Amino acid sequence: MGEDKTTQLPRRMTRSSASSSASTSNNVAAAKVTCLEPLTINDLLVGGDPISLNDIISSFPGRSSQILEVVRHLGPLNSPILPLFVYGSSSTGKTSIILQLFRHLNRPIVYSSCRTCYNQNILFESILNQLLLHRKNAANGYSNAKRCERPSDFVNFLREALTNVINNLKKSEKLISNEMTQGKIGNMIYLVFDNFQLVREWDKSSTILPLLFNLYDLLNMPEVGLIFISSTSPDTFYSNMGYVEPIPIYFPDYTEEDIRQILLRNQVNQKLYSSFLDVSLKSFCGITKQIDHLSAALKPLYEKYCEPLSDKGKGVAPNQEMKRRLLAHINPHIASSLNEIFKVSSLSSTEVEIRKEEKRKGNNRRLEQSEELGSLDFHVSTSAKYLLISAFLASRNPATLDASLFDSKGGSDNRKRKRKPSEKAQERKETLEQELLMKGPGTFPLERLLAIFQCLVSVAEEPSDEQEQNNDGLGVEGGNGGLMSDVLLQLSSLCNANFIFKGRSCPIEGSMRYRTTISEDLALKVARSLKFPLSKYLYRS
Amino acid sequence: MEQENYKIKAVNLLRSRICDPKFIFINESPESNHSKLKFMISSSVTEACNNSILLLGPRGSGKNAVLELVIQDLLQEYPDSISVMRLNGLLHSDDISAFKEIARQLCMEHQLLFSKAASFDDNSQFMVAMLKECGLAHKTIIFVLDEFDLFAQGKQRLLYSLLDAMQSITSQAVVLGISCRLDADQLLEKRVRSRFSHRKLLFLPPSIEDSQKLLMHMLTLPIDPSFPQDYAVEFNRKVQNIIEDRGFLETLNKYLNVDSSVKHLLRFLFCAVSRMELQTGFLSRENFEIAFSSIQRQPKLECLRNCSILELQILVCMKRLEVKEQNLCNFNSVMKEYKSTLTSERYARHVCLRAFEHLIHRELICFTDNRGQSLSVEFRPVKLLISSAELHQGLRANNSCPPKLLNLMDREG
Repeated sequence: MGEDKTTQLPRRMTRSSASSSASTSNNVAAAKVTCLEPLTINDLLVGGDPISLNDIISSFPGRSSQILEVVRHLGPLNSPILPLFVYGSSSTGKTSIILQLFRHLNRPIVYSSCRTCYNQNILFESILNQLLLHRKNAANGYSNAKRCERPSDFVNFLREALTNVINNLKKSEKLISNEMTQGKIGNMIYLVFDNFQLVREWDKSSTILPLLFNLYDLLNMPEVGLIFISSTSPDTFYSNMGYVEPIPIYFPDYTEEDIRQILLRNQVNQKLYSSFLDVSLKSFCGITKQIDHLSAALKPLYEKYCEPLSDKGKGVAPNQEMKRRLLAHINPHIASSLNEIFKVSSLSSTEVEIRKEEKRKGNNRRLEQSEELGSLDFHVSTSAKYLLISAFLASRNPATLDASLFDSKGGSDNRKRKRKPSEKAQERKETLEQELLMKGPGTFPLERLLAIFQCLVSVAEEPSDEQEQNNDGLGVEGGNGGLMSDVLLQLSSLCNANFIFKGRSCPIEGSMRYRTTISEDLALKVARSLKFPLSKYLYRS
Repeated sequence: MEQENYKIKAVNLLRSRICDPKFIFINESPESNHSKLKFMISSSVTEACNNSILLLGPRGSGKNAVLELVIQDLLQEYPDSISVMRLNGLLHSDDISAFKEIARQLCMEHQLLFSKAASFDDNSQFMVAMLKECGLAHKTIIFVLDEFDLFAQGKQRLLYSLLDAMQSITSQAVVLGISCRLDADQLLEKRVRSRFSHRKLLFLPPSIEDSQKLLMHMLTLPIDPSFPQDYAVEFNRKVQNIIEDRGFLETLNKYLNVDSSVKHLLRFLFCAVSRMELQTGFLSRENFEIAFSSIQRQPKLECLRNCSILELQILVCMKRLEVKEQNLCNFNSVMKEYKSTLTSERYARHVCLRAFEHLIHRELICFTDNRGQSLSVEFRPVKLLISSAELHQGLRANNSCPPKLLNLMDREG
């Protein structure tokens, strides 16, 4: 008996992690231990040490009313429930609280996340694998317990598996009542569907959604409870045939005070961090209230807040004078941090440290300038850069201006227009800006792109008259050969990198049309790296 | 500990009733659908003839529950003369699954060996053959087609084969279609409709008086040894007082005005019973009031209450663009409005873009085009999914909404 408990520990530890789905925990458990005992009915429990309701309530600040509401709806042992729909924004504790409550109540669940089970078949197989206590391993060739593609097969298998599990629960309840030592697990079993909002985007969502919402009526088994967890509200599940609505349980976003309580947990110096939140939390909550975003954004700011302190904020309780000093120190950085709140750094941690050193030395103006003049984050060939600039110009400029912009003089006609800004030109400029704002970059055929590209390359290389005459022929010779080679392959590489998009083919011309979505800033960076005068070719300038 | 036991048992009993459709729809009056349906099917069984009936009514009105009760009664009266085949349009709307399921249930019913590898033709011919055999043996097969309108989409081969087989003089079958679409028979093709008798049973939601009777039926405890006598009597007296209370009736009317189906009422009862205080062991009017407020949700208003200030600013800018009768707008035009309207405390463009994406995820705004591959988020046209009144209400309900923003909205509204 002791050996069994020892063997099951790694699986329970893995299972208690709130963020992992049952399928993932199955794989992790299988990877950790070479040879595991066969699964039993106890593996449907969340596992872990017993936890009291008060512990759960104190673990989740601001959630006591929601926790009590879920407990009341789950009801006493062996009490049937109508389907529940738990919804709220991201990072509001829905999944964590549900799993911790089932750990507290010690009742069997079948947990499936519609993110890891990303289509109908995988969801069906995951549920049946758990109910049939099946673990995929090398012995069975990593196959599922049942193969079912049709909903009708799934419901038949599901009803059969649930009946077996419920009968086993009733038998084990009789045994347990004789022993009177362990806590009762009852004969109810709960199917939990997490990240349920993702089902709306599945291929067969118009049939799978009514099926899952009506699963309670289809099964007609009072011992089965259904719980849907979604980050969008019930009204976003559109259906033209209707279904009986589950009971809604709403998890509102955290208030600012709740967020303060949550962020204060696990902080070494509570008072210092509290004074830091006094000056920063309100500003950041104006942008977003999601805990994960706030936690990531405030962490580097807190480190900067603690810089003047000798011990980096480990043990000292701040007095009024120290608070004023720290406030003066951090104030200039709050505004810039606000605008960095959603950025995901692409630098490695080592480079981040180097950047920190550089930032300490330079002043604010240098920071702004260096960010503006920042080099490209990627490397492409010179030919691809010219091709990218050509695509940008082809998308942004109307085709009617090509003749004047891309002649052999290299855009000199543009200067004439600058001297005579007539009223019509001004109106056209505003109309074009509005159109660009609304419709975005236009599409262009391949021929136009290649023509612009050839013109830019010719201007860049300043070819002699002899080479120009050679270009009149079909073959490409001389110095232009370097940049012009493999231009179609470069184009397909840019398409694969999502710098250029290939659109639908035009039914009349029969050729592909392309579009580029790079921003003007990126185009300017590319042009600057080539020392190319991009602004001369932009119509707006 | 003993006291806790019978109070918990009371909660479990009430919850079991609410979750049991058969307990709710027991109604033996001659005018009820229960009696009518029982008479129709019973006549078909005794007179050895075919029949087809449509049960129509909104969702939650008890079509399936009443049918199950009738079948239960008939199986007691004619144990050897009835077989029941149950299909559901959500599972068996394609003909292959339907015929396979009929074959599977026929094999289970008659202890025959079911072959999963049987083909479509094998299964359909098997069904026709079994209908003949059962007819010769004076046995009636009852086909229950739940979500009947889903069977009517597609080629309707199941319906045609089934109703065509019933044309023969030897078969005895009753086809029961259950649907929430009143035009379910209009969906049938001509060849199928001509073989379908147009008997319909309408299931209507109960009146307010019937709902009150149903409440008494659902919420009172039996006076028998399973509960202490004085507890059960006091419990039922309190329930009677609650149901007769004027304030409670107002709440109930408000709730049922939205949807008066029985299942909608059961959701309300489930929430109220779940909140029963286990210390006192009695239901209170407060349980029902809290249940009412918790089950009546306003998701858009909840979303707005959760929005950050930046997200609210973006919504107000979109509303301003809408008021200017700018039909299409995208992130770029919203940003243009944002920069011209809000002069203080402006955020970087990419921060606004992420807030914009949060609004899309919350479904307060949505894309209006279907193609999404080639255009980046900034250029895709979007529209608001909330009305001006909702936005007004949301701004006032949001605790952190600055008064400046509210004034801006008032000026436009």
